[in-house]
Amino acid sequence: MVLSLLVGCAGPAGQPAIPAPQAKASATASARSEPSAVPTVRQGRPARSQRVEFVPQRITLPGRAGAEVQPAETVDGVLEVPENVQHVGWWDGSAYAGEAFGSTVIAGHVDSATGGVGVFARLLRTKIGDVITVEGDSHRLRYRVTSVQTVAKQALATDSQAFEQTGDHRLVLITCTGTFRRDQGGYSSNLVVVAKPLGLAR
Amino acid sequence: MKSKFGARWIKVALVATATLGLAAVSLPASYAADNAEFYVVQGLPGKNLEVAVDGKTVAKNVKTAAVAGPFKIKAGSRKVTFSDGGDVLVDRMFSVKAGSSWDAVVHLPASTGDDPVVTVFRNDLATVPKGKASLVVAHTASVPPADIRVDGKVLFENIANGESLKLTVPVGTYEVAIVPTGEKKPVILGPVALTVKGGAVNRVYAVGDPEKKTMNVAVHVLPTGSSGSGKPSKVDTGTGGQATGQGSDLTPLSGELVKLTR
Repeated sequence: MVLSLLVGCAGPAGQPAIPAPQAKASATASARSEPSAVPTVRQGRPARSQRVEFVPQRITLPGRAGAEVQPAETVDGVLEVPENVQHVGWWDGSAYAGEAFGSTVIAGHVDSATGGVGVFARLLRTKIGDVITVEGDSHRLRYRVTSVQTVAKQALATDSQAFEQTGDHRLVLITCTGTFRRDQGGYSSNLVVVAKPLGLAR
Repeated sequence: MKSKFGARWIKVALVATATLGLAAVSLPASYAADNAEFYVVQGLPGKNLEVAVDGKTVAKNVKTAAVAGPFKIKAGSRKVTFSDGGDVLVDRMFSVKAGSSWDAVVHLPASTGDDPVVTVFRNDLATVPKGKASLVVAHTASVPPADIRVDGKVLFENIANGESLKLTVPVGTYEVAIVPTGEKKPVILGPVALTVKGGAVNRVYAVGDPEKKTMNVAVHVLPTGSSGSGKPSKVDTGTGGQATGQGSDLTPLSGELVKLTR
């Protein structure tokens, strides 16, 4: 049996040695049972064009306004952005910066009752063509703003594509804008800034 | 336009591989914590392989493009032997650390005529964001460096025999074609309709030789679990009112929708 031959020749001592039907095969197998004679496997490696994808840890807006980016979770349908208005939140279900598809969503306070004006208030003056830099894990990717829109709050998830994970990669920045309604504790709308990557992440 | 090799459609259903109809023989389970595991990806056209680890047969009749395993092996240096009908085609020493997972691909070399090659790729089993898949494409075929076009765009560029590239992609079905680096034709393989599975690493190996019309893909899906939270329905990011009027040119509150150019 072929199987027995292989086991007998290459297996550990104590296994029954079955005479080889062909002297040549036996000699080959014996030579190969010397570990030093057997070459090692080839290690597969990433191609040089491997795309860099990273979790955003810092964002820089025009005018050098910068903020730390922390992962933000959706709890009961609400994206829980950092309470510190100088920090912003990366929705942990959105794309990593540099992915081929989908939006990388970063949201932050425009202001808060306790913390004052937030870093993302700078978005209110953002214009098409502005450059925004996202960094993390020693990587960086620059994006150019392609649209600035106001969306009624209740329409953000349903009618905007802010959270879509298909289509070409883009950066989506979200804060609040519109009419502030103190009795309702917030603004009427969301400001949505969309930016496209300038090349690949490095 | 018809390519040199025929642009045929191959439906590739990414089913969890398990042991694909193989008489897999498990090694003793006494190794416990110092085990590693590996899968065999059979990239040799027209061969039915028998796989042995340190002389012990672990799988028989492994057909072209099949994935066999997982095979538990003790950490350390192991000898893996691939044979067909009693003839040893190739054997290699393989060093593994405890807890690691590997794909060992036995495949054709870049240029025809040389001996089969065994290339090992470590499986990254880190969780994938919800609704997404990790897609790894590896070049283990007898063709020069190639580009891999996904839905008509080059997403994996200039990948040579023995190399792989990884992308995170939304769950879905993609049209994948392999072409020579920098060219659109001849199409070496595909387009193939590839459905990637979410919460998993989907490893796709191009195998075979276009000159002999034996190009094929071997697919290995390993579940990883998902991370990240669901889509928000609301973003509340202003409770103070201090920023009112800070915008110099606020867009009108018409409920105008965000339009994303794709």
